[in-house]
Amino acid sequence: MSTGPTPTGKPQVKALNCPGCGAALAVRSFGNAVTIVCDSCHSILDAKDPNLQILQRFKVATDEVRPLIPLGTRGKIRGTDYEAIGFQRRTIEVDGLPYSWHEYVLFNPYKGFRYLTEYNGHWNDVSILKALPEVHAFGSAPTVRYLGETYKHFQTAQAGTSFVLGEFPWQVRVGEAAVVTDYVSPPRVLSSEKTGNEVTWSMGEYMAGKDVWKAFRLPGSPPDAVGVYENQPSPLSGEAKTIWVAFAGFALLLLVMMIGFDMIARNEQVFTGSYRYDSNQRGEASFVTDEFDIRGHTSNVEVKTGTDVNNRWIYLNYALVNEDTGKAFDFGREVSYYHGHDSDGSWTEGGQNDSVAVPSVPAGRYYLRVEPESDPGYGVTYYTITVKRDVPQYSLYGLALLALLIPAVLLTWRTLSFEHLRWAESDHPPIKWGNDE
Amino acid sequence: MIRSLYMLYGAVVMTVLGMGQYQGWSLARVNEVKNVPRSIRDNPGAYRSIYSSYHHYTGGK
Repeated sequence: MSTGPTPTGKPQVKALNCPGCGAALAVRSFGNAVTIVCDSCHSILDAKDPNLQILQRFKVATDEVRPLIPLGTRGKIRGTDYEAIGFQRRTIEVDGLPYSWHEYVLFNPYKGFRYLTEYNGHWNDVSILKALPEVHAFGSAPTVRYLGETYKHFQTAQAGTSFVLGEFPWQVRVGEAAVVTDYVSPPRVLSSEKTGNEVTWSMGEYMAGKDVWKAFRLPGSPPDAVGVYENQPSPLSGEAKTIWVAFAGFALLLLVMMIGFDMIARNEQVFTGSYRYDSNQRGEASFVTDEFDIRGHTSNVEVKTGTDVNNRWIYLNYALVNEDTGKAFDFGREVSYYHGHDSDGSWTEGGQNDSVAVPSVPAGRYYLRVEPESDPGYGVTYYTITVKRDVPQYSLYGLALLALLIPAVLLTWRTLSFEHLRWAESDHPPIKWGNDE
Repeated sequence: MIRSLYMLYGAVVMTVLGMGQYQGWSLARVNEVKNVPRSIRDNPGAYRSIYSSYHHYTGGK
């Protein structure tokens, strides 16, 4: 869009007729318009000429677009009343495909002109800059600084005007072309429009369609926004960072909890016994241990098995039986240890010791039923069983950390996906994920 | 909003973890059996563990 003159003169309603078709023209900008487009015959008229000289006539094909905000509609933008007085459609071509957006000229007799743009349901509130931004055209992606904010180059394209309606504060023509360059810093966009030697800078700020509808009290609901627009603020913008800060806080708390529970855990040995199992001996191998007391609150019970297995295994069926209630915790543990040498060098598998934590064992008098098994040819295996209660379980901290990590990772992934979609439409698309073939 | 939800979620995770640590939760596969007869003390072979049909690893590299 081009900059227009500062509004002058007293507000007054003018009744004019189109010299092309004779239709009545509604003039809303009180002499501030430079061109007026007849709604009936689409003649572009020189508003500064008392005879309304026809500057251009353009044919309206079937692709005529009606403005979503009807001309003459008044609305409040940033606390000021504006009237929609002009509308144009502009088109760029990227990779042979046309992309069109719409621009609305808004007017207030005291504040002047303002613009609204709309593309695929994405809206921008646009005003002309009064100072020049600082362009840093180094590297493949130039940046622009304006009022302390850095804007990244998004796209440069030749935009052509393909449809106009209403009043404009510049000499509008269908078919006129300008090189449009957008720099983004969501929710804002800086745009430069170069026509010949003239460059106009404007700043747009993203608006949701529902806010435009509310501002202009339009009936119905706005068209749905399609895709991600160049300066559309990410709905998760800033959230990912705060989530990671919260995650760091929780991770620290987790560490404090780990130290705390480590300190208060009883880690109390309640039973130990050494045994011998001869796999060559026939008969019942199972036996029960002496009884032992588990005191205090419900806690885990760790059963440790230490063996002398060497290139063999022993399997122990355990039942931790409560003498008083008859409730048993039944579990089996295999202890196997293998080692040797081959072409890759020496190797080992397994180990001679094993440990398991039986969860949530209430206080009471217990004994262990043990049933060892092994290969019949192995012979004698010596093993020791040690039982401890209230032993810290670090795997739970790992699970908690994972549970805290998943939402943070998902949120970060969604934020990155949003930015990926944004920049996929730019002159600087991110590296494509996967193979498109 | 998301931060508040995450804080709430984190608080729940920490509470569950604290409860789990205190109650002695663990990831071990343990089968709870009720009403084990007292006769086991005299005749341990009368009880059969559900893990007794476990297939043992006899390999090594």
